[in-house]
Amino acid sequence: MKILVVDDAPFIVRALRDTLAARGFEVHEAQSGEEAISAYRDLKPDVVLMDILMPGMDGLSATREILNIDPAANIIVITAIGKPGLEKECMDAGAKGFLMKPFRARALMELIDSFSGRGGR
Amino acid sequence: MRGIEIVHGYQEDIIETIPSTILIVDRGREVLYANRNFYLKSGKKEKDVIGIRLSKIFSPVLMQKLDKKIQEVFSTAEPFEGEQIRYPGGRFYFYRIYPLREAGGAVSKAVIFMEDITEMTRLEEELRDSYIKLENAYAELKELDGIKSEFVSMVSHELRTPLTVINSYLEMFEDGLLGDLSDLQKEKIQLIRSQTDTMIQLVDDMLDSLRIGARRLRLKKELTDIEDMICSVIASLSRLADLREHVISFRCEMADARIECDPKRIIQVLSNLLTNAIKYTPERGRIDVVLKEENGYALVSVRDNGIGIREEDRDRVFDKFFVGMEESRADMGMGLGLSIAKDIVEAHGGRIWFESRVGEGSTFYFTLPRGGHPEHT
Repeated sequence: MKILVVDDAPFIVRALRDTLAARGFEVHEAQSGEEAISAYRDLKPDVVLMDILMPGMDGLSATREILNIDPAANIIVITAIGKPGLEKECMDAGAKGFLMKPFRARALMELIDSFSGRGGR
Repeated sequence: MRGIEIVHGYQEDIIETIPSTILIVDRGREVLYANRNFYLKSGKKEKDVIGIRLSKIFSPVLMQKLDKKIQEVFSTAEPFEGEQIRYPGGRFYFYRIYPLREAGGAVSKAVIFMEDITEMTRLEEELRDSYIKLENAYAELKELDGIKSEFVSMVSHELRTPLTVINSYLEMFEDGLLGDLSDLQKEKIQLIRSQTDTMIQLVDDMLDSLRIGARRLRLKKELTDIEDMICSVIASLSRLADLREHVISFRCEMADARIECDPKRIIQVLSNLLTNAIKYTPERGRIDVVLKEENGYALVSVRDNGIGIREEDRDRVFDKFFVGMEESRADMGMGLGLSIAKDIVEAHGGRIWFESRVGEGSTFYFTLPRGGHPEHT
């Protein structure tokens, strides 16, 4: 199962790559909204983990853009911003999940499992 | 007008004793009458007033205004309803001028009423000053509050990134994804886990206190079994309780424990109360949790046999940043837990309180309305 991790913080990308790879995922990385869109076109990942606050195009715009390309995209927002209403904004934009950093791997796995019809790991 | 005949009998006394100045002048501005208040205020004698022109009595500054207004009253035969003037020496007066009509309707005299409003003006100015000071202070506070909120949001955001990294690798150790661990390593990993969870909780509390402070706490209510919630919170804290060798018991006396609430928030309340009971009870303590129903409310109590709450601290227990007992502060957190718990319980329409005896322990209680629809209950 292909998973695209989008985050501008290198340590986060590294930690998520390690933890997801150890759990059997094929992990790809992007460090900005723009990179995420082009990586999505090239790789068609099963799941995208999307940070919100990034230099250049932010995660919310990138989420909308990717859903334009593929309305069935499975995007999970992962963010450290505790702004009230952000979760609703992300879900309204079409994200399939919202996780506040730091999150438990189990919570992420449960979310990914819930995206039925995409095949197992 | 009823009773006016009584006034007729006492006109003179009334005019002479009222605490305002009354002067009657003719068209030539000569004074025909002045009441006692005028003599008291001015310190003048009758012979220096009656038959004397106003301009010889009042200062030129005052006369300039007064003369013009008197002229207007005589020429229009309409009263002048008054204005405020500043008298040299810092006193303030309010004066009015009324035409006095003769039997034939002609106006040949006018009456001037003068009120000393110095004290009132001074109070008014003081009030205005205080108001401006208050407005400035408010603006300053608002700005500081904004800075504080921004700072807390920023700190919380910045702490979450390293916590995410720490948490990810910790989970990999815990899940055996980084090889087998010795018992000693497992024990130390448990310690790191408990402290990492504490830190995550602190960051969450910081944001919560901001949101609740700004009344932005939004409840996502659903019908949830509170008995299940209590069991899961006790289970999640068992590691912390084991470290201190506490025994936690739970008794449910509620037949149907489903209530309408925001489960995430109620778990937070339970978790705060139990964590406190664990922290404030010396090793090998007892913690008893009881759930019952009372007058349509679910009533939860958490009793410990810990150190208790000092008399002088009791009013502040639910205050933000209050931390009981100064010793061993390192473990006690920021003192946001109970203030958040109170806000959450009250947002649900419930109540939270405690009983405590120093050296014997504390019992915290909270109620939640059962809510929901009849078919569920």
